[in-house]
Amino acid sequence: MTTVRILCGLKVVSDLPLPDLPPWTGDGRAPDVAIRLGAVPDRLDAPVVAGPLLQMGTDGTCRFAIPGVAAYLVEGGHTVTVRAEMAPDSTDVRVFLLGTVFGVLCAQRGLLPLHASCVAIGGRAIAFSGVSGAGKSTLAAAFHRHGHSVLSDDVTVVDVEAPGGPLVLPSFPRLKLWDDVMSAFALPREGLERSRAALDKFHVPLDGRFQAEPLPLAAIYRLEEARLPSQDRAERLNPVTAVQSLEEDIYRCRTIQRLLSPARRFHLLTRIADAAPSYRLWRRMGLGDLDAQVAALAARQPSDGGGRA
Amino acid sequence: MSGYYWLASYPKSGNTWMRLALWALRHGKPVDFAEFAGWATVSGLRAVFDEVLGVESSDLSAAEIETLRPRVFETLSGEAPEPMLRKVHEPWILTPAGEPMFPPAVTLGAVYIVRDPRDVAVALSHHQGTSLDRAIAFMRSPPHERGAVWRQIDYHWVSWRRHVESWLDAPGVRVLPVRYEDMVADMPAVLAEVATFLGWDAEPEAIAAAVEATTFERLRIEEEKQGFGEKPLRMERFFRRGEAGGWRAVLSAEQAARIQHDHGAAMRRLGYLE
Repeated sequence: MTTVRILCGLKVVSDLPLPDLPPWTGDGRAPDVAIRLGAVPDRLDAPVVAGPLLQMGTDGTCRFAIPGVAAYLVEGGHTVTVRAEMAPDSTDVRVFLLGTVFGVLCAQRGLLPLHASCVAIGGRAIAFSGVSGAGKSTLAAAFHRHGHSVLSDDVTVVDVEAPGGPLVLPSFPRLKLWDDVMSAFALPREGLERSRAALDKFHVPLDGRFQAEPLPLAAIYRLEEARLPSQDRAERLNPVTAVQSLEEDIYRCRTIQRLLSPARRFHLLTRIADAAPSYRLWRRMGLGDLDAQVAALAARQPSDGGGRA
Repeated sequence: MSGYYWLASYPKSGNTWMRLALWALRHGKPVDFAEFAGWATVSGLRAVFDEVLGVESSDLSAAEIETLRPRVFETLSGEAPEPMLRKVHEPWILTPAGEPMFPPAVTLGAVYIVRDPRDVAVALSHHQGTSLDRAIAFMRSPPHERGAVWRQIDYHWVSWRRHVESWLDAPGVRVLPVRYEDMVADMPAVLAEVATFLGWDAEPEAIAAAVEATTFERLRIEEEKQGFGEKPLRMERFFRRGEAGGWRAVLSAEQAARIQHDHGAAMRRLGYLE
């Protein structure tokens, strides 16, 4: 059975059910992306990136595989072939499709995926980037709880050259949250899907607070852990440091940066740095300080209208 | 191809002190905690794992992560221009696929730092903010729970005894055992031995300067001045006492006997029981 959904404004037809994505409600145009069940080669010929899980060929084709779950072939920014090693409609197969595979697909289309979560504040997109475990999803969940809409969780796709851009393209209306975060926010687990059958991590719907239209990117905060109370602060990065920091924020940077020439990469990152200030945000980890952090960050943004922050 | 030297220990056994002394030796100057941050860092950083493999470790089960960790070490070892020194608090174990998690092929050697478990219990209770009895129970049978997702991949906890035996008896690994008590008694001799093991050129004057730069008093003063980033938030100070045998004044006879009961064979082997 084929399903038609929307992802970052793209029309996606899929052999796999994709309940994470909103149904396509647009016109009858040809699909932008096709997700098919089929054969995936065991390896790529002469890969330029040959990682244990992720490989890339000279033409930008990528192969990604999680043993026991599925192998994925991503071609030309328009076709994903999935060879599932378990029931194709299990969430486990989808989690990696909407993670690494999704990021690679966007990059193949010339979009820039950042390792960041993104929320709407005063009609602008504010991205929170950082390494794994820095608290991107948790902070997005805290903003959601305080009434803000969310554009993306973990992968933030930026259309740098769009009119009025750089624009953040909304991804999908759910957060992935660990059990402990859900307990801290008193979120019920009933009826929620586990993101992997074996993990205490749940797909939490955004319940109407999904920002479905693109928004201009207004600021990027790179999350850093403050180990000492004296470190709590947001530090504005100068343009050179901002570009360097953005380079590290590229999603799956080791592989995806290869899809962009250094000159092209520099051009895109400079455009972002010109349009949106970058900060290094030192914050205390843990769930106790989140409300105060949300209030402080929201207060930093201009309320509405006017120029960019 | 370069490879790894593992600086392995059960927590609260002097690993950080040894890393600081090696930092001072390598850099030939007094320790600056800000510069030290991230040096000879833990082997299980989530960001490194995720970046090398192109996957979110938080989407993987503990068994999947363990199975993939040798691939991360092999990849990084193939890229690094010189040997890497990494702190390890995990035991030397086999992955669910049956291969060593720390692959012998990219292991140059392991410095295994060990400390009297009775002193470890006291230090651990301060570090974790728990009672002595809970610390002793933790060292015997740690819980198998997955904690919150932070910057490090969750430790694979085992008992203190199992930890010691896993590293000292790791097949195919060149291991230099280092006793915390010997560090307290004669750090210059220990540091010189470790430096030689790591293949570093170190003149006695350089060793003496590094030891002088990382005395317990120095580290404590430095922590008061600028704080120490590796301190758990709830702990008052990281560099607490830095002594050997302090347990005698803290543990009850019954508590000491319990530790001996749990770990006696390994304690005897290391000269902690006469």
